[in-house]
Amino acid sequence: MSVVLTARDLTRHYDVSTGLFKPKAVVRALNGVSFELESGKTLAVVGESGCGKSTLARALTLIEEPSSGSLQIAGQEVHGASKAERKQLRKDVQMVFQSPYASLNPRQKIGDQLGEPLLINTSLSKAERREKVQAMMQQVGLRPEHYQRYPHMFSGGQRQRIALARAMMLQPKVLVADEPTSALDVSIQAQVLNLFMDLQQEYQTAYVFISHNLAVVRHVADDVLVMYLGRPAEMGPKEDLYTRPLHPYTQALLSATPTLKPDPLKPKIKIVGELPNPLNPPSGCAFHKRCPYATQRCSDEIPEFRKVDTRQVACHYAEQFL
Amino acid sequence: MSLLNISNLSVRFGDRNAVPVVDGLDLKVDKGEVLAIVGESGSGKSVTMMALMGLVDSPGIVTADSLVFDGNDMLKLSNRQRRKVVGKDLAMIFQDPMTALNPSYTVGFQIEEVLRQHLGMSGKAARQRALELLKKVEIPAPESRLDAYPHQLSGGMSQRVAIAMAIAGEPKLLIADEPTTALDVTIQAQIMELLLNLQQEQNMALILITHDLAVVAETAQRVCVMYAGQAVEVGHVPQLFDVPGHPYSEALLAAIPEHSAGAERLATLPGIVPGRYDRPQGCLLSPRCPYVQDNCRTQRPGLDPKAHSLARCFYPLNQEVA
Repeated sequence: MSVVLTARDLTRHYDVSTGLFKPKAVVRALNGVSFELESGKTLAVVGESGCGKSTLARALTLIEEPSSGSLQIAGQEVHGASKAERKQLRKDVQMVFQSPYASLNPRQKIGDQLGEPLLINTSLSKAERREKVQAMMQQVGLRPEHYQRYPHMFSGGQRQRIALARAMMLQPKVLVADEPTSALDVSIQAQVLNLFMDLQQEYQTAYVFISHNLAVVRHVADDVLVMYLGRPAEMGPKEDLYTRPLHPYTQALLSATPTLKPDPLKPKIKIVGELPNPLNPPSGCAFHKRCPYATQRCSDEIPEFRKVDTRQVACHYAEQFL
Repeated sequence: MSLLNISNLSVRFGDRNAVPVVDGLDLKVDKGEVLAIVGESGSGKSVTMMALMGLVDSPGIVTADSLVFDGNDMLKLSNRQRRKVVGKDLAMIFQDPMTALNPSYTVGFQIEEVLRQHLGMSGKAARQRALELLKKVEIPAPESRLDAYPHQLSGGMSQRVAIAMAIAGEPKLLIADEPTTALDVTIQAQIMELLLNLQQEQNMALILITHDLAVVAETAQRVCVMYAGQAVEVGHVPQLFDVPGHPYSEALLAAIPEHSAGAERLATLPGIVPGRYDRPQGCLLSPRCPYVQDNCRTQRPGLDPKAHSLARCFYPLNQEVA
């Protein structure tokens, strides 16, 4: 297996105006995220709104330049790459968005939308493009007559299939999916998730799967990265993380997720309060104000994201949960 | 006598021959009971509750053999009489808390409005009561929040305000339409706990509309599964989850990733919910049902009172267990 995506200390800061004549404030939307992703594997990124999931997606897909840190796609460093090199790199990273209603052009036929990546990035003839599009349509479960139709003629699940097909047209090495099923009903979600898995098997694409639904993540992921307020909280192999979460935030997330078989003997971990203001994050560990185990040290010292057992955790007391 | 008695409720849009959006629904809710209505988009969950509240506007047509809430025939009430009931004894909270509140008025004013309209309170007394209500829904620093505008509140906080408004009249029945869908999981857990505490404290009935079966498993006593406008199964909570009687309930459960943990592929129901032009002549699920028989395609099954949980199916599943 080859590593197709390497992120080192990726950060993205935004300057925010706080008013005329006032100094600009900085939002650290993404703060030191590192990971490696192999082809054919899935890294799931989970966290609540505002934790930096989508900023990460934008950085990985070259939509936005990271403020610092390094990003390598298929061994090639993104920072400092020329315009031509970037165009090449963009072919290797594709994206599927959350809302299939907003991500398809309503005035373009499905066949044309699927053919556009080929038109821009390859020198295939019209007939060859059509052939490729139709092969892909069949693969994602669309019928040949859908080629001439417009997006409004499709249901949400079908649209997400189209969006996925479009992302896969160039056979990217990495596919970034930002909440791809959260707009869909459960039975449709299951169909789309199956399709994701099938395509991954076929093309050995690496997935970065962003989601807030821990049940979905458990199904699709190999590794899971939990984020909180722009920082990584815990990262590790799925089964370890689900069976024995080491970071109190991971524990709280898992406990808060509703389950089909609630265990009345296992009380839910209650975490109080809401996500802190990213403009004015708490000192020390970002989670300490909501953490049931917080001590003085947590409010003084930012915990290092360090290796514990099989994974990496940013908690001073991670060993105690082993 | 039950608090809410709905029998043979149908809602159509257009004329009397239009395809019903809600089709012959029977539902009873007792005092202090938690009933969940689950189903996918377009299954008629929300429209049912809108019909009950008298919120279905022209060209919507509501017909029912009986639509009785707390001794009031909701179909026969004049608008003036209905306004006395709705918002006081019968209250509702909505999916998106950000749009449910009026952006032009302070939170305090909006809560006091309910107290003025329904309880005849005014001035200091109303403000005092509004403050108590904010405390009751566990809003931090409630004194300062009374003068806050909705845009100054987070999603979870807005939902708490919406709940405070709903319980201001001490309703006998609270309808919560996807109350946590727009919220993060840790906030979802907080809001669900709050709703259930209030429900027990005030002994009110709660109808929880949701598409998330895991939330149902954790909160409700009874559940009504809807499909394409019909109630396909009504049952008690652990039983319906352990031994679903209707193939649709079974498929809905199987499609949840948690249910098929460890499996490569998720179980899916092929196809999509029938629309208004392809409504089958027989059982509405027949084109998608894995157990379909010949008579399913030609006859519509009813809700069989003999079955252990009421399932609208000729061949209900798991009958030997019951």
